Amino acid sequence: MIDFVQNTIDGVMIGSSYALLALGFTLIFGVMRRLNLSYGPSIMIGAYLGTLAYVQLSAGPAVVIAATVIGAVLAGVYVERLCFAPMAAGAGIASMVSSFAIWMQLEQAAILVLPHHTYPFPPLATGAPLTLGPFLLRVDHLITLGCALALSAAVQLLLYRSRFGLALRAIINDPVAAHLVGINVRTAVMLAFALASAVGGIAGYLVLATDQQVTPMFGMWATFKGLIAMMIGGLGSIPGAIVGGLVLGIVEAQSQWYFGPQVRDLFAYVLLFTCLVLRPGGLLGEPPTREPALGRGRA
Amino acid sequence: MDDYLVSVLSNIGVISFVALSAYLLLLTGEISFGQQAFFAIGAYAAGIATALWGWPLGAALAWGALAGGTAAVLVGLPTLRLHGLYFAVATLAFAETVRLLFEQFRYQVTIDGELVGPNGTDGFRGIRYIFENDVGSLQFLGLIYALLLAALAAFVLLERSRLGVAFRMIGEDATLAALNGIAVARTKLLAAGLAGALAGVGGGLYAHLTTYVEPRIFDVMLGVHSLAYGLIGGLGTAFGPLLGVLIDIGLLESVRVFAGYRMIIFGGLVALLLILRPRGLLDERVVHRIRRAWFRLLVRSHSTERLNRDLP
Repeated sequence: MIDFVQNTIDGVMIGSSYALLALGFTLIFGVMRRLNLSYGPSIMIGAYLGTLAYVQLSAGPAVVIAATVIGAVLAGVYVERLCFAPMAAGAGIASMVSSFAIWMQLEQAAILVLPHHTYPFPPLATGAPLTLGPFLLRVDHLITLGCALALSAAVQLLLYRSRFGLALRAIINDPVAAHLVGINVRTAVMLAFALASAVGGIAGYLVLATDQQVTPMFGMWATFKGLIAMMIGGLGSIPGAIVGGLVLGIVEAQSQWYFGPQVRDLFAYVLLFTCLVLRPGGLLGEPPTREPALGRGRA
Repeated sequence: MDDYLVSVLSNIGVISFVALSAYLLLLTGEISFGQQAFFAIGAYAAGIATALWGWPLGAALAWGALAGGTAAVLVGLPTLRLHGLYFAVATLAFAETVRLLFEQFRYQVTIDGELVGPNGTDGFRGIRYIFENDVGSLQFLGLIYALLLAALAAFVLLERSRLGVAFRMIGEDATLAALNGIAVARTKLLAAGLAGALAGVGGGLYAHLTTYVEPRIFDVMLGVHSLAYGLIGGLGTAFGPLLGVLIDIGLLESVRVFAGYRMIIFGGLVALLLILRPRGLLDERVVHRIRRAWFRLLVRSHSTERLNRDLP
C-alpha cells in the first residue's frame, strides 16, 4: 500500500512535467488546428542553448532558464514562420510533414553544435528529499508541480480574461470572422506559438534540471510525451492537459514499479489507444466532430 | 553492379512498400503514423515462416502480406471511425504497442544445434533463406523490383477503377462520398487492409534482405518518414511516394558529400518545397497535365500515322 501511494506521488510529480508539455502543445493545436511535430525539438534547441551557457560560461540558474526559454521561443517562431504561416487553409498535412522535416533539421543542428551524446544540465534544487510520514518528496518535483498548476492557471486566465485571449478564442472559433472584425490573425497566431514555446521551454528546463543531463533524444521524447498527455486529456482543453499529464505520469509510475521500464511504455501506449477508441475527445475534451481535425479543416 | 549500389537500390525498393502503404491511406484522406507496424508484422511473420518452419520464400511473403493485412483490418475496425489527428495518434499508439510487444516476443527453436527465432530486444537473427538457397543479391533485387512493379501496376489499375475513384472521393469528402452511395466504412477498411498487406510484403522482403530484424527498426521515425515520402513526392500518383523515397535514400543518404549536414539541407528543402507545393512534386495537377500531354501525343502520332497511310 505504501508502495502504491509512493508510486502515485511519483507519478503525479513526473506527470506534472508531462502536463506542462501538453499545455504548450494544446495551445498550439487549439489555435492552429494543426499538429506541430517540431514542438519538442524546438524545446531541445532551447535546452541546448541553456546547457551551452552552463558548460561554456558556467552561468547561473537564472541565465540557464532565460537561455532555455529564449531558445525555445526563437526555434518555435522559426517553425511557425516556415511550416505554418505560409501554408494555405487546406494544407494541414503539409504543415505537419514540414514540421517533421524541420524537426530533423533542428536535431542535426543541435548535434553539430554539441556533438557528444550527453551534456550536463544544472540541477534545480539539490539536497535531501522531504519526508512526509513514510513518503518521500523531491524538492525539484514539487517545484515542477507548482509551476504546472501556476502556468496552466495563468494561461487559462490569459485566454478568458484578456483582450489577447479573446482574440485567440475568436480565431479558434472562426479565423475568417476573426479577421473580419479586425483581429490581426497572423500576429496573434505567431504570439500564441511563441507563448506555447515559452511554456514548453519552462517545461523542458524543469525536466532537464531534474534529470541533470540533456541528450539529442529529448526533442522526440518531449513531442511524444506532450502529444500523448494532450490526447488523453482532451485536445485543446487546458484542464485536460493537466489531467492527461497526471494520468499518464501515474500510469507510468505504477507500471514501472510493478512490471519494469519496458512494460511501462507499453502501458502508456495501450492507455492512449484505449482512450482514443473509447473516448476520442479525451477525458475532458469535447467529442470530435465529423470535420477532420487535420488536413482540410479550418485554417 | 557493385554491392553498394545493389544494397542501396534494394533498400529503396523495400522502403517504397511502406511509403506506398502510407500513400494508399492518404488517398482516402487518413494520415497514418503506424504503417511501420504492419511492416514489422510482415517481417516477423515471413522470417519465422522461412527460418523456423522451412517454408519457401513465396509462401512466406504471402503469409507476411496476409498477417499485415489481417492486422490492419483488425486495427481498422475500431480506429477508422476516428478522424484526422485522432486516427493519426491512434495508429501511432498501435504501432508503438506492436513494437514494444515484439520486444517481449520470444519464440526460439533449435535448428542445426543453433537457437533461431525472435528473441525480444535482441531481435531476430538468422533469416538466411537467400543464402541457403543461393539466391544472389542481384536476383533478390530483381524479386523486390518485380513485386514493386506489380504493386505499381495494381495502383495504376486502381486509379482507373471505380474503387480508386471511391478512395479519392472519400479522401475529398467522406460525407459527399456517402451521399453518392459509397459504403465509406467498408471502403476505408478495404484500403486499410490493402495498405497493411502491402507493408507486410515489404516487411517480408526486408527481413530476408537484411537477414536480421529487431524491434527498434520499426519505430515512429520509419512511420513518419514513409508518410513524408508520399507528401514530398506527390499525392497525384503512386509514383509520388517512390520519388520521395528516391530523393531521400537515393540522393541524400547515399551521397556521402552531405554527411553531417544532410538533415539540415533536406529538412529545409522539404519545408520550402511544401510551401510551394503543399501536395508534393507530382500532385494531382501535374499528373493531370502529364496525362493530357501524353494523350495528345498519342492522338497526334496516331493521326499522322493514318495520314501517312491514307496518302497515295
